[in-house]
Amino acid sequence: MIFSELYSAYYNAVARILREAVSHPVTTEEMRRIIAENAFDESALAILPALSESRWPLLRKDGTTPLHAAPTMPLTKLQKEWINAISQDPRMLLFLKGTEMAETGEDGDADAETHEATVPLPYPDEKVLFAKEDYCVFDRYADGDPYEDPAYRAHFATVLEALREKKALRLEVRNRYGHLMQITTLPSHLEYSEKDDKFRLFGRASHRSDIINLARIDSCELCEVEPWMTERKQTRPHQDQVVFDLLDERKALDRVMLHFAHFERRAEKLDEKNYRVTLLYDRNDETEMVIRLLGFGPLVRVREPEHFVDLMRERLLKQQALDQGTLDQQAMERSEAE
Amino acid sequence: MPYSELVKNFNKIREYMRDFYVYGFKSREDFDAKSTRTYDDERRRIESWLSDYMHFQNTSDGKSVAITIDSRSGKHNPFYKAWKAKSFTDGDITLHFLLMDILAPEKTGEMPRAWSLGEIVQQVDKYLGMYPGARTFDESTIRKKLKEYQEEGIVLSEKEGKTVYYRRAEGFGSIDAQVLHYFSEIAPLGVIGAFCADKQEKEASLFTFKHHYITAAMDSEIMCALFDAMREKSFVTLETYLPKEKRSSSGIFVPLQVRISVQSGRQYLMAYGYDARRITSMRLDHIVSVKSGGPCPEFEAHRKKLAAMEPNIWGVSTQSWSGSRMEHVEFTVRYENNEDFIHQRLEREKRVGTVERIDKNTSRFSADVFDSSELVPWIRTFIGRLKDVQFSNAKLQERFEKDIEKMYSLYGLTDPSTLDESSTQLTDPATLDENSMRNEKGGEPS
Repeated sequence: MIFSELYSAYYNAVARILREAVSHPVTTEEMRRIIAENAFDESALAILPALSESRWPLLRKDGTTPLHAAPTMPLTKLQKEWINAISQDPRMLLFLKGTEMAETGEDGDADAETHEATVPLPYPDEKVLFAKEDYCVFDRYADGDPYEDPAYRAHFATVLEALREKKALRLEVRNRYGHLMQITTLPSHLEYSEKDDKFRLFGRASHRSDIINLARIDSCELCEVEPWMTERKQTRPHQDQVVFDLLDERKALDRVMLHFAHFERRAEKLDEKNYRVTLLYDRNDETEMVIRLLGFGPLVRVREPEHFVDLMRERLLKQQALDQGTLDQQAMERSEAE
Repeated sequence: MPYSELVKNFNKIREYMRDFYVYGFKSREDFDAKSTRTYDDERRRIESWLSDYMHFQNTSDGKSVAITIDSRSGKHNPFYKAWKAKSFTDGDITLHFLLMDILAPEKTGEMPRAWSLGEIVQQVDKYLGMYPGARTFDESTIRKKLKEYQEEGIVLSEKEGKTVYYRRAEGFGSIDAQVLHYFSEIAPLGVIGAFCADKQEKEASLFTFKHHYITAAMDSEIMCALFDAMREKSFVTLETYLPKEKRSSSGIFVPLQVRISVQSGRQYLMAYGYDARRITSMRLDHIVSVKSGGPCPEFEAHRKKLAAMEPNIWGVSTQSWSGSRMEHVEFTVRYENNEDFIHQRLEREKRVGTVERIDKNTSRFSADVFDSSELVPWIRTFIGRLKDVQFSNAKLQERFEKDIEKMYSLYGLTDPSTLDESSTQLTDPATLDENSMRNEKGGEPS
């Protein structure tokens, strides 16, 4: 069962308090800090008196505990089954060393030309919580990163090592035109897009911020962090705002609000059927935003900023010209001129 | 009962969290199904779990509550906190830590020893003896807790003669924290990965996520029960609730597959429905409960049928709203010499159907699908490049064209008085699956 006290924030906070109490008398201040880190805003109001009044007789008055050892809990069946399930995901290969994988070829022939790496079940005595045929992500883009490519996996491992060890990276990267570029960067994190099924590396080097598609890396090695790399702090991409009106027909309210749920946003009810939505987005993703809003057709109308309205209008104007046959004619003339 | 941050039943707060997060403009009066006291308690609980993300606004309709999260800026799904708010008794938590301590191995890495129930009871009494006036636990309470832990898999039992011995299960190996951080955000039932990470040494995540829908977390228990049913190849009784229509219904289904959208944040169950006698879909967030039934001998046959249907399913719909068995859709897109990425977009984004290159500036997409209305939002994303959009469903063709006309008018490109308003009042195709699930008694399209 997922909703169980075994996984509760209160159990976690108490376990961490008792872990401290095994080695030294734990103070109220320490307990407050641990509760704030592991539970909720008002949890201290419930946990502290329960421990001090011995309703939960686990802590002595002096802040020590009668427990023999720091509390631990074995993995539950549910946790093992989930780990078994994710171990079968091709992306798990990114986190494993060669020795942790099994190579299987056609008919079990390890020398066969077509072979793929697999991960043995970490808990073979337990079931697999879900198998690949039990679910399907049906709208993920088809050109995701090549997780089964050994070169890609090696680059991913080096990037992960750099992030863990806080080292810099010397990279050779192919840009969108296929040209090879050399980049030295101090990585900050990896970003994964579920829609694109791609990883991007975020890093910085002196005056610039780097965003690098992992699949475009040709070579990759660790290097020491130079003082010039840390001169400037990494800044968040600039956020822009778009305001649009929404007509709640064909259940548009539910569809639009859920579709844009992953953005910071604000919605206001204008009347029974009309809503105004303000949404913050990364300036680099403006074209994507235009496309996504177009997808809702006449149920969404962009109000501001003006330049965003113009972007919508521009596409519609182009479409109108295509409908009327005038755009094709212009394109044909351009093509002939070339 | 005095207020507590913890709750017994997750379903009680599921709808509130969803409404605060997805809509964010509703005031207390909009939650008319519940008493104001219930509303205040649930709002306070959610505020206690997610205070960093809560926003309040005074409007003419009252004070509205919103949960606002830019999921790209965080590393962990904040909704997992709600799954860590299960209530328990004083006895539950006391026994938990005592039993885990009694059953723990003497030294780390050693095999834990086995204890009889009598020995465990004695040990519990010894601990509690240090606290004058503390409550005691009788043998049956401790046996019941051990049985519960056996079911969870953290305690094992073995019988020697007539005596049952209890041993702590092994499997407290530390898992790579980055594996947990990554998969707990992107894999189904990721909340379980977050539970694993909670019990380990803390290590900051190296990952962030883009296009990251986090609402699915609230349907974790439903999804888990559906996966259980698939593993057991059994049928289930599903109770569903449509909030907008304020209507509940229930039916018997064979769960076959969960279909997850990473572009809309929705999750659907594909299931064979005994009432409709066909494979249909329903949103997971509309399922209230899953009651396990017996084994379904036709499970594999239904799965095969679904697999055969998949090349003609664009999203989740398995039936057209025109009544046709199969619908055809095709369109061409025009692009400039330096816009080859448009052709690549078609290739990358098509889920079914085919893309052909007509010439260096034109590509054509075509598909036969059960329900071509599901493609409309995607086709609209090519506005500005579309030519010859053809639907075999004549009503859809008409609506598509009228919608484009209406968009021209919205942005001041045509005269709005020329529009025929009635043509835009068709039923939403995205809801037709659920409607058809309830209304259609006809056979499955093939």
